[in-house]
Amino acid sequence: MNGLKLPAMAAALLVLALTTRWAVSAEPEKPADYQWNLPKGFPRPYVPADNPMSAAKVELGRYLFYDSRMSVNGKQSCANCHKQDLAFTDGRAVGVGATGELHSRSAMSLVNVAYSAALTWSNPEMKSLEKQALVPMFGDHPVELGLREGDAFLPLLRSDSRYAALFARAFPADTDRFTMANVTKAIASFERSIISARSPYDRYHYDREDDAVSESAKRGEILFFSQHISCFRCHSGFNFSDATASERNADREIEFHNTGLYNLSGGLSYPSPNVGIYEFTHAPADVGKFKAPTLRNIALTAPYMHDGSIQTLEGVLDHYAAGGRRIASGPMAGNGHDNPNKDHLIGGFPLSAQDRADLIDFLKCLTDDEVIRDPRFANPWL
Amino acid sequence: MFHKQLFIRIAAVAGVWASLMFAQTPAPAVAQAPAKLVVSGDVAKPITLGAEDLAAMPREKVSIPDQDGTQVEYEGVTLREILQRAGTPLGNQLRGKALTTYVLAKAHDGYQVVFALGEIDASFGNGKILVVDKRDGKALFGYQGPLRLVCPDDKAGARSVRMLETLEVVQLQK
Repeated sequence: MNGLKLPAMAAALLVLALTTRWAVSAEPEKPADYQWNLPKGFPRPYVPADNPMSAAKVELGRYLFYDSRMSVNGKQSCANCHKQDLAFTDGRAVGVGATGELHSRSAMSLVNVAYSAALTWSNPEMKSLEKQALVPMFGDHPVELGLREGDAFLPLLRSDSRYAALFARAFPADTDRFTMANVTKAIASFERSIISARSPYDRYHYDREDDAVSESAKRGEILFFSQHISCFRCHSGFNFSDATASERNADREIEFHNTGLYNLSGGLSYPSPNVGIYEFTHAPADVGKFKAPTLRNIALTAPYMHDGSIQTLEGVLDHYAAGGRRIASGPMAGNGHDNPNKDHLIGGFPLSAQDRADLIDFLKCLTDDEVIRDPRFANPWL
Repeated sequence: MFHKQLFIRIAAVAGVWASLMFAQTPAPAVAQAPAKLVVSGDVAKPITLGAEDLAAMPREKVSIPDQDGTQVEYEGVTLREILQRAGTPLGNQLRGKALTTYVLAKAHDGYQVVFALGEIDASFGNGKILVVDKRDGKALFGYQGPLRLVCPDDKAGARSVRMLETLEVVQLQK
């Protein structure tokens, strides 16, 4: 789940997965009766028809998610870049793979990823968690988990008595359960189960607990939704992201935004390889356009922006208040305020010290302490 | 055909929901002020309505699907009723130059939208637009209240003004 890779590589992996011994069982799965237990205000997430949710798949996916044997050298699992106590991010500016190779972008939170209309920071076509899981597993630009077809991972699963039971429960109808397709289905099911829905803000907004948030946070909420600041225009809805989809709204087209973070002179205005959806569309107007991620648990997911180049929430607010970031010198020098692709919503606004503090308090009340401590999402190997 | 109609209906519902949820803007201020709606401009009787005034007027309800699929009920007074109280030309008075009249709805944070009187009048657009003060039986609060517009017939939500404060009536030709 760590950023995007070459689409051709992902497509090749997908073809491989569908045409080799990883092939999905031809027998359709029976719809599973998974209990989402969603509170008021939260719709049912979209779930692909060929991978219905089940408690057994979620549990198998949890074991796989935390299994460091699922890497080239046994040193890394999905959880290295997606730590529960950091709302399933890693606290780094950019991700680090099993071999020490650096990713070019920041690990995105997996909380509420079931509601993501598009995955990664800037790949408009990556909409399937099952497909996306193949990228960190098999991608080599950069190496994340570093698996290779034919390596020892599937045989390892077959020989593990714990996995024998988990796979049998998760995929009872399959003749060959130990396939990479089933591995990605289970991981995707676990990821979809990580729902954050009852932060203090939710208790205030949906449950009408007036004391759930501070007066400062209440003022911050009004600022967040105000015309002159308008954070809500990109960070909208129950998930505080305009890239949100659900069961009733599964095919939502989303917008990507250039927020004026860079304005390099000559060539592309954003530093390669982080050039936004231009990487896929090749349209000059798309340089620097990235997804607006959810703001849920945002206080836990520093550093910020697609490349982790802003350290604090205060710094993020200052960036938006200035209508773009000015970098005075060095290879990134330029005034992002003047980036020709900058979203018209990023115009800047006056921000008093009180307003700034109120907005920060509001953002902090989006932290859900339950999701970062919930044993259902914790490492089962401990 | 059925699927197309179903899609259109779902899209319309989603549009109205999105509008009500994200419509516009609210205010940079602090504590929630008591409900107060000023009706001014080209009206026979400029009025200011408080919470008790609105509570004493004919009340209507509208039910709209929320994002989770449940129905949300908004309650308030029709915009038409409020404008009639202020002596705005409606009904058989809405003809000739009066048809150049519009209502400018203003929010606490400066957000503004326009409705033509013809949209609202029963003989023309007959649009049902409510000035609401309750959601699911409870007073609006936070960035939504204490008053807001709800336009259930709009596909987009940008005219469902939150934190509504003023209705300014303007007649272009007199």
